[in-house]
Amino acid sequence: MKQIARRLAGHLARGLAMILVVTTISFLIIRSIPGDPMAAKAQKLMEQGMSPEQADRAVAVLYGFLPSGGMWDQYVDYMTGLARLDLGQSLTVPGTGVSTVLLGAAQWTVLPVLAGTLLSFLLGVTMGVYAAIKRSGKLGDALAVSGSLLHGVPQYVLAMLLAAIFTTLIPILPAGGTADIMIEPGFNAPYIGSLIEHATLPVVTYALASYGGWILAMKSSVVTVLGDDFILAAELRGLKRSFIFRYVARNAILPLFTILALSIGLLFGGAIFIEKIFNYPGLGLLLIDSISGRDYALMGGAFLLITVAIIIANIAADLLYTVIDPRVRDGAESS
Amino acid sequence: MYTTIDGFKPGLDVNGPFNPYHPKANAFRGYNSMWLGWSKNHLTDPNQFYPGIAASWDIAPDNSSITLHLQPNNKWSDGKPVTAEDVRFSIGLAYTQGSTAYSIDPSASGVASDIEVIDDKTIKVTQSAENPSVTFVRGVMETFIVPAHVWTGVLPADFWDKLKTARGDGPEAEAAGAEITGLAEKVLTFAPPKDVSAGPFVLQRVNPGEALLVKNKNFYNAANVAPDQVKFLNYTGNEQIWNYLVAGKLDNAPFTAVPADVMKRITQTPGNGVARGFSPVAVSMAFNQSKKPYDDVHVRRGLAHLINREEVTKIASPEGGVAAATTSGMHQRATEAWLGAEAGSLEPYKVDAAKAEEEFKAAGMKKADGKWALPDGKPWKVTINAPAPFSDWVSGAKAVTSQLNEAGVDAEVVTVADYPLYLEELAAGKYDLGFWLTALGPAPYNIYQRLYGPANGWELLAGKLKHHAPGKNGNWMGSPETIDVEGLGKVNPGELAVKLNSAPEAEQKAIIGQLAKAANQDLPVIQLWDYVNTQFINTSRFTGFPKDEHDSLRLTSGVWLQLGMIKKKQ
Repeated sequence: MKQIARRLAGHLARGLAMILVVTTISFLIIRSIPGDPMAAKAQKLMEQGMSPEQADRAVAVLYGFLPSGGMWDQYVDYMTGLARLDLGQSLTVPGTGVSTVLLGAAQWTVLPVLAGTLLSFLLGVTMGVYAAIKRSGKLGDALAVSGSLLHGVPQYVLAMLLAAIFTTLIPILPAGGTADIMIEPGFNAPYIGSLIEHATLPVVTYALASYGGWILAMKSSVVTVLGDDFILAAELRGLKRSFIFRYVARNAILPLFTILALSIGLLFGGAIFIEKIFNYPGLGLLLIDSISGRDYALMGGAFLLITVAIIIANIAADLLYTVIDPRVRDGAESS
Repeated sequence: MYTTIDGFKPGLDVNGPFNPYHPKANAFRGYNSMWLGWSKNHLTDPNQFYPGIAASWDIAPDNSSITLHLQPNNKWSDGKPVTAEDVRFSIGLAYTQGSTAYSIDPSASGVASDIEVIDDKTIKVTQSAENPSVTFVRGVMETFIVPAHVWTGVLPADFWDKLKTARGDGPEAEAAGAEITGLAEKVLTFAPPKDVSAGPFVLQRVNPGEALLVKNKNFYNAANVAPDQVKFLNYTGNEQIWNYLVAGKLDNAPFTAVPADVMKRITQTPGNGVARGFSPVAVSMAFNQSKKPYDDVHVRRGLAHLINREEVTKIASPEGGVAAATTSGMHQRATEAWLGAEAGSLEPYKVDAAKAEEEFKAAGMKKADGKWALPDGKPWKVTINAPAPFSDWVSGAKAVTSQLNEAGVDAEVVTVADYPLYLEELAAGKYDLGFWLTALGPAPYNIYQRLYGPANGWELLAGKLKHHAPGKNGNWMGSPETIDVEGLGKVNPGELAVKLNSAPEAEQKAIIGQLAKAANQDLPVIQLWDYVNTQFINTSRFTGFPKDEHDSLRLTSGVWLQLGMIKKKQ
């Protein structure tokens, strides 16, 4: 336990240093993005009938929130704010803190993408084991082919295909949105039902799109483990198949945990195509909008969220390794 | 239930306040967000409106003031009456935003100088005499009216005294001005606890996918508002709007660029139809005259003679555009309305390879092996820039390029990642030719600001006009200050354009004639196509939508609903 705590402390220290470096680099990149959002807004207002002078005056007010001062001053302000856990004010949603905007979008990304990731992981891993064990049979072939096919189909193609089938050809699911506006929101069955109904296509699309990767990775890992000496020894000693299966599964799944942890970390980057096609207002779309609107604070906040999530996911994966893999645990203890 | 989308902003935001000034507001124009009146966008008369919060109005003959008579029976959705004090308070808010007819600088163009509440339902707004503009009345009419009793406290009690001081001179005025400007953020970010509307609807709830509005029973014309509920659907791109339309979900969708095959599918859906009308917007290719050989008018004219605008429009905007008849700086409909028969005297720049050759030769260009080269014999490549997300512009640029290449002019299209970057690089003078919206009317001053305004070096500061040298201070179009126009002599088009701001209609006509001629001869841009306002309607559930060319077509369907035009299908 002491070893794990020490390991955790080391990870946290390295994680904080990494956050500092990544935040600094992303600050520099974000502030260096060329483009004039004020001119774009003024053009939009002129298209709506304003004169150049009126549009300029309106834009000056709207963009009064833009950070001012030199790059160094802005950096110091930004980092001081971060130290107070203040991500700043959004430019595209004036008067609203970046953290509020991010949280608002995160709820529509985290649950569906997390559900999709876990669903595809469980399905992919189980099917991957079968595909490896039955690799010389028709079932193994079929499972491997299904994995290769789904792995090769781009996410947006799958999303459009499912949308076309289930919202147009057999219209049994809603085409987009998060819930039926006619239902009173709250902790009630109709609203929860509506949320699930609207999340079905995004979740299934995400699960199917990532399922292929899991099944192929698990199959390959199981096949490698099946050839290991300790499995042969177990078989020679006459151990029950269920014991052997546990040995195989526990060893084969180890590399996949790292990928799973990274996938969970990356889910904070959103699933842009799925969000776009199913009109699901998550973090991916928010990030794209913040870039086109040159909302520096929001961009910085989104990048920070992704960075922190990946670092935490990595630490979690490493700690999990320590728990489930005796070799890592023993190595840590002996060091 | 009436279903539509908000054409002004994609993306519903559950955090958006009930504040019309906020860019992510849950305020839908014509539904729960109201102006004093709704412009008919008349081609030559900017002072024609449909009633909004104001039932009627009297405009002084010299445009110096407008007296507004409010709807006598209109009430906010919380039951309180809509009064002249609400309008006055809303005008105060508008001063902090500095837009439309309200600026603390009395020398700014077309701004109000005095607000007088005459009685509970009447208010008079007077224009500052320092720099009057014909757009003043429209600026007043397009004031968002909010409930003073909800917004109270956003403006300080001594606001009007401060405004008076700010409009004077000296350090006191500066301090008062700074205080008012400092209120901008407070106004912009104010979030009323609930929606209190004087429009036909009031917001009930919103989620990231949809917004639900219900009828405001206190609205003056509630009896004639057909639907009890309105649903706004969220969208993040045109594709979603197309899907809604194909599925027959929308009763109306405002102008959306649609490719021909999608249009076919949309119109096949039962009940779907299209109403087309005037849209005061045109797409042009603007020259950077700071770069050679585009400083030579013969090169610009030669290029114009090589572009088949009909073909370009057919490829780029088959449903939402009409090939430009010529380059006048205005939409063809506005050109005809202002110039009448004189419009026919403008050079149409028909496709004519011989004329193009004549023009290129006049510029000293050389032709070798079927390719045109610069006067010094060096290769000439026309680079046309367009922002990548604007698919119709990119298609148009490609079509033009292909036509020029066929005619022996080496040409290429360079796309730019997004619009903010495009505008920055355009203003920095990095492009030879770039796509540029022109004819942004209907106000003639606004129309000619696109050709002879800041982008071409003319800057209006505190009522004084200054011209910056080509390539300097945002003058990316690079025209000289004066140009020779056949039949007119030397003209300063920037000066003429500014006069449009205050000249009476008869004088405007003469000025527009000169500017159209100047633009037509000098070609700072080549006008490619005029946009058509294509409104999608579905008559399965409602009828009474405006017909083609109706003067309400450019307004939101919230205005059609509040005026009682739309009826439930029996």
